[in-house]
Amino acid sequence: MPLKHAKWITGIITLLLIFPIVIGLVGTLLPAFAYFPPLGEYTVSLAPWRNLLSQGEFYASLKLTLITGIVAPLLALWLALSLLAWGYQRPFFRKIEALLSPILAIPHAAIAIGLLFLLSPSGWLVRLFSPWLTGFDRPPNWITVQDPYGISLILALVIKEMPYLLFVMLATMKSIKARESLQVGQTLGYSRFTLWRKVLIPQLYPIIRLPIFIVIAFSLTVVDLALVIGPNTPSTLAVTLLRWFNDPDLTMRLMASAGAISLMLVIVLVLASWEVAHLLFRQLTRAERSNGKRFGLTDNILRLGVVLGLFTLLNAFVALALLPIWSLARRWRFPDALPSQWTWDNIERATPLLMKLTTNTLTIAFIATLMACVISLVMLETKRHNMTDANSSKPHVFDWLIYVPILLPQIGFLFGLHVLLIYLNLNGDLDAIIALHLMYVLPYVYLTLKGPYLSYEEEYLQQANRLSHRPWRNYFMVKIAMLKPALFTAFAIGFSVSIAQYLPTLIAGEGRYSTLTTEAVAQAASGDRKQVGSMAMLQAFFPIMVFWLAQFIPPRWTRWRLKLKQVFHIGLIKKDKTC
Amino acid sequence: MLTVNAFSLSLGDKTLIKALSFEIANGQVLSIMGPSGIGKSSLLHFLSGSLSPNLTTTGEAFLNDEALHTKAIQDRKAGLLQQMPLLFPHMSIIENLLFAIPADINKPARIAMAQNALQKLGIPDKANALPKALSGGQQARVALLRTLLSKPDFLLLDEPFSKLDPALRRDVRTFVLNEIRQANIPALLVTHDPEDAKAMEGERLELGKQNS
Repeated sequence: MPLKHAKWITGIITLLLIFPIVIGLVGTLLPAFAYFPPLGEYTVSLAPWRNLLSQGEFYASLKLTLITGIVAPLLALWLALSLLAWGYQRPFFRKIEALLSPILAIPHAAIAIGLLFLLSPSGWLVRLFSPWLTGFDRPPNWITVQDPYGISLILALVIKEMPYLLFVMLATMKSIKARESLQVGQTLGYSRFTLWRKVLIPQLYPIIRLPIFIVIAFSLTVVDLALVIGPNTPSTLAVTLLRWFNDPDLTMRLMASAGAISLMLVIVLVLASWEVAHLLFRQLTRAERSNGKRFGLTDNILRLGVVLGLFTLLNAFVALALLPIWSLARRWRFPDALPSQWTWDNIERATPLLMKLTTNTLTIAFIATLMACVISLVMLETKRHNMTDANSSKPHVFDWLIYVPILLPQIGFLFGLHVLLIYLNLNGDLDAIIALHLMYVLPYVYLTLKGPYLSYEEEYLQQANRLSHRPWRNYFMVKIAMLKPALFTAFAIGFSVSIAQYLPTLIAGEGRYSTLTTEAVAQAASGDRKQVGSMAMLQAFFPIMVFWLAQFIPPRWTRWRLKLKQVFHIGLIKKDKTC
Repeated sequence: MLTVNAFSLSLGDKTLIKALSFEIANGQVLSIMGPSGIGKSSLLHFLSGSLSPNLTTTGEAFLNDEALHTKAIQDRKAGLLQQMPLLFPHMSIIENLLFAIPADINKPARIAMAQNALQKLGIPDKANALPKALSGGQQARVALLRTLLSKPDFLLLDEPFSKLDPALRRDVRTFVLNEIRQANIPALLVTHDPEDAKAMEGERLELGKQNS
């Protein structure tokens, strides 16, 4: 991009990125100390904190948050590493790899709803074994989902996070020369799992540290997933805070803000302890790495991880398959494994609502993702300028700033921003929803585009400019056109991130704009499985569709374009002849 | 005629090329030889205007007595051909050629020029094919004709034959020399293959020797 004033543009974008972060933080911090002008609170005090710390619910919620937020990433990491160690470079593992991106693309609320259909006492799992094994002809009185220990929430989190970690790890395999290391190690007589434990995982960890941190922060703060499948009384801290923020008694907001600040502190503390734990673990295992043993008992930890990992993946697919079945079911009485009567009626009945939700969802996702693509391109271009000018490998300001919105808890932060929206008179506006979505879509689009954009062979563009000096035209016709596959993938990822957003839509839209996600989460508990199934199915359908198109279109684009041109051209020549 | 006067190149405080001067007449190819890292390619970048900023150069270059080294990149009208043919992979062969033909020529004439080039290459049936459908030698030839269609005032060749099969090289060299003679512009070839230099039937400059 023939940008001038790259430095200025960098500065302006940096400010635009920092502005909402600062406002959101200040908007949470001040109310936490009882300073909240919109409610006429002008005195700074510790009252919100005293209230918070005297709430028994706070401690119960915090405990649940810590359990789910630490156990889920640990499990996800263990299972992902096990699956990778077991399957890397095996032919059938490629098929599993191909299935990863659809799971990644599916909004987590849809997966949670699928799990609800699978695991609840009247769910498919119990139906499958009833009545022939269990003897039940009505749903048992068990608590299998929304259990008070958060086990079902942990399962849902692992299902969402394990594929993500696996995806990230697969992308780093080349840079740590995994294939070569395995070959060398295996000729030395090491078993596969031992090699992974001693050689590859220690190299892999520093590269995937940031994605792991994102996963931890997500587990500690997730709202929609916890609303659908998490425990109720008490709920996890993020859900409890959401209830306090929405309480008709507005002074509850002050206490909720203090809670949001403590949630941020919890994230920092958990991340710090995680790193300390990792350092200790590394010290403990260091000697073991070079003890020369070619295999060990601890290999079995990875083996067990493989079994559990495959089981988790299977769970995810069955859960997703249940969504369309429910939306097409007419009669599906308890112990039946499949509906006894099928119908399109559910979908037809819900069509007006679904159309409206779909329109909202797609409008927001398209606009936010397109904007994110354009902004990412400008950001990457200024970064490229910076790299070639300064000739330095200093980390660019965007490279860490872009992670801040993903690492901050949405709860609290977004309520802080909401106050700004009210001041700007933008609350409940579609623009405001799109702006908040953009904040969460942009990081993913930027990070996806970064690698391909910066490794683009710039000589093509330079040659184009030597052949015909039209810098802007060449930028689009040559560079952007050649980066089409990466742009399409980035768009698909941004799109699926936008579709999955729950809190940003809810808070900025103030309930005036519902999307498939907000409505599906709101109705998940309603028991109308047929309607919820339809919404969750659509919610999963669009990202998968866009992902598939992003894989399907770019390799065929040029062929189609040339074919079209040929058809058009032949038409022209015929016309000429008739003249 | 391309003239270079007292060209010196240094990286930090290490002098790579010292006071190099030469002249190339229209339709002639001057071959510059020497080991890697001596600054051969940097000389080309000095002439095309895309020198990397950590290299310092002194000296002047003139094209038909008009100063070249003071002009902006886009006004120099340099044609550059490198090891990689750099054909745009998402455009058909004819689109690649049309891309280079100046926009002020009318459309039927542009198409006629591109088709003429395809005839010359013996691949008129490949007009709508993509570059990857061509062999390495064909790609190199298309790349040369594409550069010449952009009507450059002089041509810079940066080891354009080194990636080709030895059997193909001879054909491509002859083709390149013929085209340069027809276009009647000065050309500078950088190579470390003496065969390349011999095939261009022009003067030869050995950089390593001059320096020592």
